[in-house]
Amino acid sequence: MPDVVMPRLSDSMEEGTILRWLVSSGDSVSRGDEIVEIETDKANMTYEADASGVFEIVASEGDTLPIGELIARIGDGAGTSDSGQAAEPAATAEPTAATEPAASAERATPAPSPSMPAVGERSAEPAPTGENGRVKASPIARRLARERGVDLAALTGSGPGGRIVKADVEAAPAEAPAAPATPHEVPGPVTAGERGGGKGETTVEELSRTQQTIARRMAESKATVPDFYVATEVDMAAAVAVREQLKALASDEHPAPSFNDFVVKAAALALREFPRANGAYKDGKFELYERVNVGVAVAAENALIVPTVFDADEKSLGEIALETRALAARVRAGQITPPEVSGGTFTVSNLGMFGVTEFTAIINGGQAGILTVGALRDVPVVVDGAVVPGRRMTLTLVSDHRILYGADAAQVLARIRALLESPLALAL
Amino acid sequence: MAVMRYREALNQALREELTRDERVFLMGEDIGVFNGAYKVTAGLLDEFGEQRVRDTPISENTIVGMGVGAAMTGTRPVVELMTVNFSLLAMDQIVNHAAHIRYMFGGQVAVPLVVRMPQGAGHQLGPTHSHSFEALYLHVPGLLVAVPSTPADAKGLLKSAIRDDNPVIFIEHEYLYGQRGDVPDADDGDHLVPFGKAAVRREGSDVTLVGISRMALTASRAADVLAEQHDVSAEVIDPRTLRPLDLDTILASVRKTNRCVIVEEGWPHGGVGANLAALIQEQAFDWLDAPVGRVTGADVPMPYSKPLEQIAFPHEPQVVDAALATLRDV
Repeated sequence: MPDVVMPRLSDSMEEGTILRWLVSSGDSVSRGDEIVEIETDKANMTYEADASGVFEIVASEGDTLPIGELIARIGDGAGTSDSGQAAEPAATAEPTAATEPAASAERATPAPSPSMPAVGERSAEPAPTGENGRVKASPIARRLARERGVDLAALTGSGPGGRIVKADVEAAPAEAPAAPATPHEVPGPVTAGERGGGKGETTVEELSRTQQTIARRMAESKATVPDFYVATEVDMAAAVAVREQLKALASDEHPAPSFNDFVVKAAALALREFPRANGAYKDGKFELYERVNVGVAVAAENALIVPTVFDADEKSLGEIALETRALAARVRAGQITPPEVSGGTFTVSNLGMFGVTEFTAIINGGQAGILTVGALRDVPVVVDGAVVPGRRMTLTLVSDHRILYGADAAQVLARIRALLESPLALAL
Repeated sequence: MAVMRYREALNQALREELTRDERVFLMGEDIGVFNGAYKVTAGLLDEFGEQRVRDTPISENTIVGMGVGAAMTGTRPVVELMTVNFSLLAMDQIVNHAAHIRYMFGGQVAVPLVVRMPQGAGHQLGPTHSHSFEALYLHVPGLLVAVPSTPADAKGLLKSAIRDDNPVIFIEHEYLYGQRGDVPDADDGDHLVPFGKAAVRREGSDVTLVGISRMALTASRAADVLAEQHDVSAEVIDPRTLRPLDLDTILASVRKTNRCVIVEEGWPHGGVGANLAALIQEQAFDWLDAPVGRVTGADVPMPYSKPLEQIAFPHEPQVVDAALATLRDV
């Protein structure tokens, strides 16, 4: 008789509260039925039955219980849990039940098979039960008996020690014809055998190590960080003008900084002023970092790499420009080394070159936020009551609310905007 | 096809491969002038000369080590150790080097080395000469392990072993050296037995007997007794190689007979049968009518005394009893 225990519904969940039972004691439930609403530390969630049978509620609505605590039982319809256990010792009394998945699947049929004798009759059978009332039968005899609807307890074993073997089951008539040998399949829009589940041929690709790492870290971050977004439009007219002048002065040795370099520098200066933006929430504490190291997300073939501009707040725009170009080239050449992609305290991600106007991103582990940069756009703006051409760019700051609250994030973003709108401040 | 002894079949395999591929050469104690302790290399020194059939001092670890080094440089050495017990002196070279070099160097070098050695009890050679250690070598990833039981397999597997790029532990049997059998010879073309392909020696429906090395023969004789005296139809499988192992053939047989007994000459704990029983119950549990049975050598150092030695390794009666025990109370 399967116990239903308080499930772990999130990584950080330690206990849950029974909000509402969706079924009543005595109801028949099937595997997959929603049975209860549970409140966790994060959300209210419904939980489904992972077995089928007659439901018996143990915990009351409003109870708060630790993970693993018994909240309900799902029985076999034989009445109380005690008689249920006596009725099916072979399936539940031993850990070997786990190797007999078909047994639980059979119980999943809504109506008990007519070939199965009523519970209680079994224990009345004299013969071949071993200790604990377990019928002594070989694995293949058990499997055949299940498939044919033969009651093992009614047979006499001819094997060593009275074990019921395959031949004994084959010789026994099934007690009722046409007993369903396999569990009733739930009809669905797509059958299991259909090619690709209605999606055509499926190509399965193995992940590279980098892709495995990205998948794991992104899922960890998204599942555990309570992130939120604040966005702002930056007037880039002054920055555009400054950059035009820098471009005229640029050479191969001193390339003109990109707008992204402006953002990296502005963010680094802002981070210096707001220590919590340059830190992380970890294990119930704030960790604040001494150095300001800004990671710059770079798309590489089949991967996303974030090389680090160390001490970006102390570097000039020109130094940042040189460094980001070199790092991006090394990423694309596959030559980037682990020290160059670690140590970041904050991240800047830019999809403006693809025409993306604004977007959100996933915070890298050990950081409080990530700043996303949209495309520089020509837009009509209102100045002194007149519509004139303007240059605008949207910045979105994604923050971990455990360390950077709404007003904090807004101030950080406002500071970055102010720096970009007075770009000579980046040279101070 | 010709009838010949197991040792003659091995000799023919070596001769054919020495002729076929000039990279093949032999090393070992007494294999040249003395023609080999068990005469497997008879005549090869005269035919191929000292460069390719080299006598060595008594120095097992060095013999195998030279083989490893030679194999890494592109030759295909076949080294002979006088018994499987002596191979323990070469364990460092076999396990730490031959088996692992290809892995350690990321596949840059292969070790196409064959280490031949006889094993087995029955000749009153005591505990330092008579053991069966296929389980020890089966334990090591990176090694292939062959345990031929017939002259034809001895020839075909040795030729395949020499051509394989992996290090092969080639375990012969002292008792089998004198056994005769049909062997394909040069008229039948190149006789190669692939690794990883078991032989079904006899088909049956009631119980599967898996016999390792010489015990494949013992199992076949036990199957005769089961058929004649007990009306039991036993299927006999000789895996022929333990790595790679043809588990599919064994599982197919177990699914047919629902019972299995593994017969080996080695010790019971951590033995070939222990491993195989685990694999069978993992992959064919729902096909079993009885626990997988094992008949093994006794859990003792091999006795010198003839009567004690004879009861320290399996014979037909023990196999018959174990097979019947899967079927009925005995």
